[in-house]
Amino acid sequence: MEIEFQRVGKKYDSGQEALSQVSFHLQQGEMAFLTGHSGAGKSTLMKLMMMIERQTSGQILVDGVDLRTLSRRAIPQHRRRVGVVFQNHQLLFDRSVFHNVALPLQVSGADHEQTAKRVRAALDKVGLLSKEKYNPMALSGGEQQRIGIARAVVNKPQLLLADEPTGNLDPRLSAEIMNLFQEFNNVGVTVLVASHDLALVARMRHRVLTLNQGRMVNDGGFS
Amino acid sequence: MSQKPSQRGATRQSVKATKHNWPSRPAFNVNLYLRQHQATLAESFMRLVHYPLATLMTVMVIAIALSLPGGLYVLLKNVQSVTDNWEQQSVITLYLFPQVDDTKALALSHRLSSRPDVATVDYVSKEEGLRYFERSSGYEQILSSLPENPLPIVLKVIPKEAVNLQSLALLQSLRDQLAGQTEVEYAELDAQWLQRLANILSFGQRFVYALSSLLVIAVLLIVGNTIRMAVESRRDEVLVMKLVGATDSYIRRPFLYMGFWFGILGGVFATLCILVLSWWVSAPAERLIELYHGGFQLQTFNADEIVLCLTISALIGVLGAWIAVNRHIAHIELQ
Repeated sequence: MEIEFQRVGKKYDSGQEALSQVSFHLQQGEMAFLTGHSGAGKSTLMKLMMMIERQTSGQILVDGVDLRTLSRRAIPQHRRRVGVVFQNHQLLFDRSVFHNVALPLQVSGADHEQTAKRVRAALDKVGLLSKEKYNPMALSGGEQQRIGIARAVVNKPQLLLADEPTGNLDPRLSAEIMNLFQEFNNVGVTVLVASHDLALVARMRHRVLTLNQGRMVNDGGFS
Repeated sequence: MSQKPSQRGATRQSVKATKHNWPSRPAFNVNLYLRQHQATLAESFMRLVHYPLATLMTVMVIAIALSLPGGLYVLLKNVQSVTDNWEQQSVITLYLFPQVDDTKALALSHRLSSRPDVATVDYVSKEEGLRYFERSSGYEQILSSLPENPLPIVLKVIPKEAVNLQSLALLQSLRDQLAGQTEVEYAELDAQWLQRLANILSFGQRFVYALSSLLVIAVLLIVGNTIRMAVESRRDEVLVMKLVGATDSYIRRPFLYMGFWFGILGGVFATLCILVLSWWVSAPAERLIELYHGGFQLQTFNADEIVLCLTISALIGVLGAWIAVNRHIAHIELQ
């Protein structure tokens, strides 16, 4: 999936300006990191891509289509093509790991057979195939994060967005998670990861977008 | 800077070039749609079964609220069927002047029975009248001591039109016409009680309608409130579903089915309540009615009415859920 921001601004109703004049172009199959202090606008930028929020100025083009032209009814269709790993909106503890990962497939109406196949493939990918019957509550933080990733990729999205996916994980687990994203990128998925772990980001040797107080201050190779 | 306009131009071209890559809404698949609905129907039922006590309490409240109008409906139906029996027995009784003899009276009887609005005329001669009177009153001795038969000839005119509220005015004018005959001293339409009964019935009907409307609203509120709490308790799930691309109708569906189950289960229990109550009162009711008229059979819900009751209760359930879900799911938005 190809993403293009053209002088995008987002001003909340409270008057707070979360993003202003943000422009960048993410090619199909590209992987990039989004860094910046907390409050710099990383989450807002991702919410705009998910159409959770709408920009107040500028244009966002996804595969060449202006998101403003999409109606409310088209939003679910758009979200099915994007896998997200957000810090909040995490797992549901009233069902098993399997059913958590299966949710995007259920929502888009896949049949049982295909759902089971794809869920197991996704769980295998994140190394949790043996725990499909567990309640996510019984798993560690790192495992829960990986279930979230399995859920994000189970629908074979064209874009993978991750907001602080390594937030409270130790360095070894963080590196594992990053490698997972790298693997998805290797098979052609466009990946954008927001992270403030600069050391980790630098090691990944990808393009880094840096936000500061809602403005894009750096867009280039790893620093 | 000077490059910018041309860059923008290029972008616009790429918009056009790639537009066809945007996936359209997936084609509508009937099988898939039905399978999803079936799954949701079963799942929402299992969810209710999972909380048996809470479900039972809600269902019983709905059932009680529905069985009241249902029971009143059955009562009204029975009262109406009783009054239907009464209607047919109404007659216009003509008391002829004492000096009118059998020949004249028979001629009048023939004249009247040929009227288009008269079905039959029963001729009761003075002697027959006396015999009836003797048999029913127990005054044989007094009557036999009288020098002559004091009773007039009586014609019992049975109009074609059954007596009911609609035909009452018509029959009253028929009575007036018959009273105008020279041979007739006095004409009586036994209908005053019917007028009163009709008024009581229409009062009863309106009372039942008003009460039913109130109780239907109560059921809507009960279902609405229960669904609102269900939505609230599944808030996280709704948010995650929105995030992974669930349509609004997909999110609404389990709650609508929940309302459907509440409605139909309430309807089933209400029907059972009514059937049991009808059975319970049937024996004394039939004995009571027998004192006045024979051949009365207490009516309860028939198959059509059971189907109607379940349909209405299911619809109320879905409607209550619909109102609640539309109000509350809109408030749950990703942030």
